[in-house]
Formats: sequence, C-alpha cells, structure tokens
Amino acid sequence: MFLPFLIFSDSGDMYLIKGGMTFLPDGSFAKKDILVDEGLIILIEDNIGDVGAENIIDANGKFVTPGLIVFSSLGLLELESLPETNDTSSNIYNAGFDPSKAYNPFSQAVRLNRAKGVSSTVHVPQASGYFSGLLTYTKINEGYKQKKQGPLGLVTSFGQSYNDSRAANLLFMEDLFNYVRANKDDNYADMTQFMIGTANDYKFTSRDFKALLKVLNGEIPLVVEVSRATDILNILKFSESQQIDLVLWGAAEAHMVADEIAKADVPVILDPLDNVPRTFDSLNSTYENVIRLDQAGVKMAFYYSQGAGSHNAYLATQSAGNSVAMGLDYITAMKSITSNPADIFGLVGVGSLAPGFDADLVIWDDDPLELMTNVDNLLVDGIDQDLSNRYEELTERYLKEKELPNSYRSRE
Amino acid sequence: MTKKLLLPLFTVFLLGCTDQTSSFFQNEVEGSVTNFKDDLHGTYASTYKPLKSQNIVIRNATVFDGNGNKFQNFDVHFSDGKIQGVGLRLDVGDAKEIDGTGKYVTPGIIDNHSHMGVYPAPSVRTSSDGNEATNPVTSEVWAEHSVWTQDPQYKLALAGGITTFHVLPGSANLFGGRGVTLKNVSANTVPEMKFPRAPHSLKMACGENPKRVYSSRGPSTRMGNVAGYRNAWIGAENYKEQLERDATHRDIRNETLAGVLDGEILVHNHCYRADEMATMINIGEEFGYKISTFHHGVEAYKIADLLADEGICAALWADWWGFKHEAYDMTIANIAIVDQARGGTGCAIVHSDDESGIQRLNQEAAKALAAGRRAGFEISEGRAMTWITKNPAKSLGILDQTGTLDAGKDADLVIWSGNPFSVYTKADQVYIDGALAFDKATNFMPHTDFDLGIKEWEVR
Repeated sequence: MFLPFLIFSDSGDMYLIKGGMTFLPDGSFAKKDILVDEGLIILIEDNIGDVGAENIIDANGKFVTPGLIVFSSLGLLELESLPETNDTSSNIYNAGFDPSKAYNPFSQAVRLNRAKGVSSTVHVPQASGYFSGLLTYTKINEGYKQKKQGPLGLVTSFGQSYNDSRAANLLFMEDLFNYVRANKDDNYADMTQFMIGTANDYKFTSRDFKALLKVLNGEIPLVVEVSRATDILNILKFSESQQIDLVLWGAAEAHMVADEIAKADVPVILDPLDNVPRTFDSLNSTYENVIRLDQAGVKMAFYYSQGAGSHNAYLATQSAGNSVAMGLDYITAMKSITSNPADIFGLVGVGSLAPGFDADLVIWDDDPLELMTNVDNLLVDGIDQDLSNRYEELTERYLKEKELPNSYRSRE
Repeated sequence: MTKKLLLPLFTVFLLGCTDQTSSFFQNEVEGSVTNFKDDLHGTYASTYKPLKSQNIVIRNATVFDGNGNKFQNFDVHFSDGKIQGVGLRLDVGDAKEIDGTGKYVTPGIIDNHSHMGVYPAPSVRTSSDGNEATNPVTSEVWAEHSVWTQDPQYKLALAGGITTFHVLPGSANLFGGRGVTLKNVSANTVPEMKFPRAPHSLKMACGENPKRVYSSRGPSTRMGNVAGYRNAWIGAENYKEQLERDATHRDIRNETLAGVLDGEILVHNHCYRADEMATMINIGEEFGYKISTFHHGVEAYKIADLLADEGICAALWADWWGFKHEAYDMTIANIAIVDQARGGTGCAIVHSDDESGIQRLNQEAAKALAAGRRAGFEISEGRAMTWITKNPAKSLGILDQTGTLDAGKDADLVIWSGNPFSVYTKADQVYIDGALAFDKATNFMPHTDFDLGIKEWEVR
C-alpha cells in the first residue's frame, strides 16, 4: 500500500497491529490492521503492508477495542478504610474541588486496572457538602506524565436526606443558582451573603462559586446522582428552567421516566447490575433499567459499582457483558464503556478506534466482555504498557520457590 | 442533600468464617445431650415443607454433577423431591420431559456467606440486624432471630441459581453469634425456611473489625482479640464442668461455645490475613475444636498447604480487595491456589457476603477459574463448579443432603441457558426439592409482602 501522507517517526513508537477483530466506530467488528505512530492511530485498513514499523503485534485471532474509560477513584485512593490514603474528598472545597490533582500513577489499583484493559478514568470527586466536586479525565498510562481533560462536570446528588425535605433541597438549589447568576460578574464572589440565614454550614469559597458559574455558563454539565423517578423529573425540570446541561448518575428508577429523559436529551451513567432496592428511593431497581433507557434512545455510559467498586473499575466489562445477557445489543454495551463516556463529556480524541484518535487500545485474547478473557496488550498514547501488577507478583511468589521463606523469594 | 454516594466503595466491613470437614457432624444428630441438639428437633427446629415436587427428566443437557465432572448429552431425573439419577438416555417411565439441548444443569448454587434477611433491602437503620455490636463476645445471639422473611433480596439470588444460603451475624465481634442455613424459599416464619437438619454455626471474626469496633474498651489490638477468644473458650470449658454437676444450668452464651467444643456447631471464621488464620488454627488446637471454614481469607493462598493439611475450607471472593489494609494482598488466583494445594486436596469456596454478588456466584467462579489457569493450573470447569456447590455444602455440614446431583439427594438444581461460566448465561429454571421455584420464561418467582405495591418488572 502506498502511503505518501505518512510521516514516519524515528522515535520507535510506530506500531503495526495485524489482523485483530477490531471494534470500529460504526459498531462492527472487522479484521483490520492498525498503524500507530507518535501516539495516534494513523490508519485502520484491511491490510497495511510493510511500513517499517519497529513494533509489529500479531493480533490474529484476537480482539481489539478502544481502551476502557472508567469512572473511578483510581490513583486517588489506596485503602478505603485508611483516610490518610484517601484523597477523594475535601472539607475545604466542594463545588470547586478537583481530586485528580492528587493522582498517584504508581497506585497498585492503577497497575491492576491497566493490566485489565483500562486506559483512562474519569475521576469522581466525593467532597462532603452540597456538591461533590468536579469530574476530570485522566489517562492511566505508566510513568509520571498523564494527559488530562477537564473539568468535565460538576457533581451533586439529589433525593432522600437525613437533614431536610427533598422539596427544601430543590428550593435551595434554585436559590443558589439564582444567586450565582445574579453575582456572576463579581470576580471575588462567594456564598457568604447567600448562606446567611440558612440553617446549614456549607462552605462555598470563591473557587466553588466559579465552578457553579461554569455550569450556568454552559461550559460543563451538572452531574446529578439521583434514584427516584419523581426526583429525576424534578431535576429535568430544574435543569430546563436554569438552562443548564444535565447528566444523570445512578438513576435506578430512570426506566420509569425513560421517555422524558430521552426527550430532554440527557445521558445516563449507571451500573446495569444495580437491581437491589437498597433505599426507599430505589424500590423499582431492576435489570429493566438499561433495556428501557436504550429503547427510549437514551445515551448511556456504564461503571462498575459492585463488590470492591472503584479498585476493580475494570469490571465495567462484567457490567456490560451482563447488560448483553439482559437483552442489550452488544454494540451499545461496548460503546457504553468506550466511546459513550467520551461523547457524553465531549472528550477529544479518545474512546474510538479511528485515524486521528489517540492510540489507546486493548488487545484481548477473546471476547472483551467475557469473564475469562485476558488482556494481551494495552497501548496508551501509542505506547505498549507494562502490564505487570502486584497481584500477579504475589501469585508468582507463592507458587514458585516455595522452599524459601517468603521474604527471600524473588520479587517478580 | 446528603453526603454524596457516588461510586460506593466497600463501606460495610462485614465478616464471616467457617468450615468443617464433612462427616463430623452427620452422625451425631441423634441422641445429643446438649441444648443445641435439642434445637434440631425441638423448639427452634426447621418446619420447612417443600412445595409440591414434580417428576421430571431433563434430556440431553450438559451436566455438571457437582463432584467435579462434566457430562455431555446427559439426562437428569428427579421425582419425590429427590435426584433419581443422572446418566445417558435414562429410562424414567412417565416423567415429564424437558428438552435440555444446549442447556446446562448444575446442582443448586450455595452461598455459605450471606447477610440477606439480617441486612435486608432497603438498607435502613430499623432493619439493620446483623451485628450485635454491644460486646466482643455475643455467642448467645442467633442470626435466625434477626432474619426478616420479607427481604426482597431472596428472589434476586434465586434468579441467580441460589437454592441454599448461610446467613451469618456480622464481624463486629470476636464471637458474633450463631449462623443459620436456609433454603431459598418464600415463607412467613424463619423455621419454615431453615434447612432441615443443617448444623448450627458459630461466627468468629479476626483482625481489624473487632479491634476497631471495641477500640475504646478493648480489644483494641490483634493480641487483644486472641486473648478474648482464649478467655471465652476457657469460660466454655468451665461451663461444661459446671454442667456435669448441674445438668439444668443454662447459659446461652456458653451453650454455643460448648456446642463447638462438643463438635456439633461448625466454626465459620472471618479472617483475612494468613498469619492470623494460622493463629486461629493454634487456638483450635489449644481448646480441641476444629475450624470448618475461613471466610474472606484474602491471604489464604499464602497458607494453602496448611489449610489443605488441616482440612479447613476457605470461602473467598474472586477479586475483592483494597477496602481495608488486611484486604491488600489480593490475588485473583487465590481460590485456585487454595483448591490446588497438596495435589488438589484443598477446599475452595466462592462466597458473596453481598446481595449483588450472590446473584452471580457462577460468574465469580469463572473469573477465579480464569486466573487459576493463567497462573498455570490445569483446572476443569467441573472442578470450578465444586467451588459453588459441593464445597459450600461440605462447609455447612449439609453435603449429605445437597450440593451434588448424586441420587437420593435433594433435587436442588438449576437449568442454565448456556455455559454457567459465560457472562451471557442466565438461570432459566431453578428447582428446590424438586419443585419449580423460579422460571425465567414465565416470570415465575416468589414475591415477598414487601414487593407488593411495587410494579413487577420483567426478569432479565
């Protein structure tokens, strides 16, 4: 094949991935060659000849998909029960809190998830207060340097509360947004004036104020964790009256108001496996959720929230696989863990396998959504990643050299 | 608005632990002298009555028998609530035929670590009844006295093939109390759900949870935990001596512990770390009891040979980790390493401890199997099936009644839409004692009183 427009780099980062069943943006799997150079996908064709790539990966009989985009606390949290290892929350800031600045690329959870096909995460903030903070997108490649995009959205939750009626919370949010709008031209505005006379002691600094302004200006959506169907309707109405963009999160009873969500063109981020009625707000939790949302035409992204949660964020593949078992089509399921997260938040150049996109891709030894499939390679920004991880090192250590005391066994 | 709930991690550190080896309970049911044995036949005994059983032969299915075997094109026949036979082209008279072509049949799935009923849904303070966290030693409490029969979670587990589950108290205490083994059937009283003749169990807990919960009054360290176990066992020995002088003396805290020392109550021990599990084995040696099963055991692979030598089962997650320090040294090969220890004599169990995970124990087993093969073990699907059937039955002391498709056992079985180790497979039908309990095609399943008034959504 004649490729006159290619400028071959000499950085050694050129990869030719041969013959893998490749998940294409149209949702089909087709046997393709993929040429990667300088971190980008250059070409996807039936047969790319000898282009002098230093690295050739034989993917015949394997599957190639975009790197998984997960929603997690990867690199922000090592052990949940130890607060000193947990950087997901803040008491100082709320709306303006961006936890991704604490990201540690050497977290064991990061290494494990890379070995399981995750190329990037949307970091989910968990500040205490009225707002949880800002979503940020981070690649989880090895080394110190990670590409980021964001902020992507401002996170809050709405529904049952120990403190006050949800009706009051709705009024509070309306008053708050109206206050921000009225003071949007004041560079040093905070919420001190607004909060006087309210019973709670939520803090809103100038930084938090500016984050809210981003929502009001339409720069980022409000991301609302919500369960009850009537709460979803109230939030839809609220966002319409405030003329802000909205993303729903969790949304256990979204299936009951799927048409209204579709009409408002609001995406939903959820775990298809959430079918336990854990609260009185989610009594109608059911596997029907993803099916009805899909039928209504709602765009979805999936996260995995069962078991060990964020540390096993890669198990979004298991959530997606189960959604297929529930009746969702495979393409929608696969997109919900790759391109849909990118589409929902307007991420640039990630989430799909297409020329010009970042070369974030996974080579699997079998169906990516199956339980027994392994990752053979993960490329992030065109670099074949080290997939070693602590769990496999522990496995090795206890299967080999058993005659030696543990501490004298080799590290790898 | 409330504290944000995004991406809930593992916020409730529940607990569990147990194992026994198969036979030590089974011959001792009759003629007991303890209050515990009275219970098997007396006041708190099972009053379970199976639904009307059917006479059915499933033809031409792929059959996992629960003993480690996988048979192609086999028939499974059951009637009168019992497995009648498994084989090729069975001659079964006028049994109703079900075409099993393309389907898989397994024993009913057993979860030996559940908190359904004691931590029901919805999760609210008023029905959070799993941890009597008022004293480090509460061997006097029984989980069955907390179980809420209207928990809407049972039917979700049933749709995942669960026919039997073991409800344990939580892990706040050194001795959390007695567990109870239930059939996954709908009933208005707990005795009607109790697995007939199932031995009682005792929940013990190691490590972080008790020392955290009691940090201000003690124990506040792991060595404090161990002193607490040993003091309690000494108390139980004294109680037994006292009983010899006065047989009418009652002390329900010590009755449970004495039941363990008499070999009638099975110890299920929540314990994550390898070194702590080894210590717990030593304590068992000191006081002359045997641990049935360690639960959670994130580090079980480090002492897999010891567990195999001792005949102790390990009930484990496929891949949970990182929610606390003692759950840091995770390997997804844990279950496989325990299983393969000492020439494949280990007793590995996949457990859930979770109302979501219990719906997919087959999938958890699949992930553990894949990791085991990746680590270099040759493990068959049939062998992996024992992790969620035979081995938990053994752990609970009910292997003589369920856990495999051996003729004469309870007809607890699942018909799957395909290979149960695939993510795309669903349980089509579940039978308990030969009676249809769940049928996906017709949306047939029990609904608790709590479910009434909530729209019935299609089973998926």
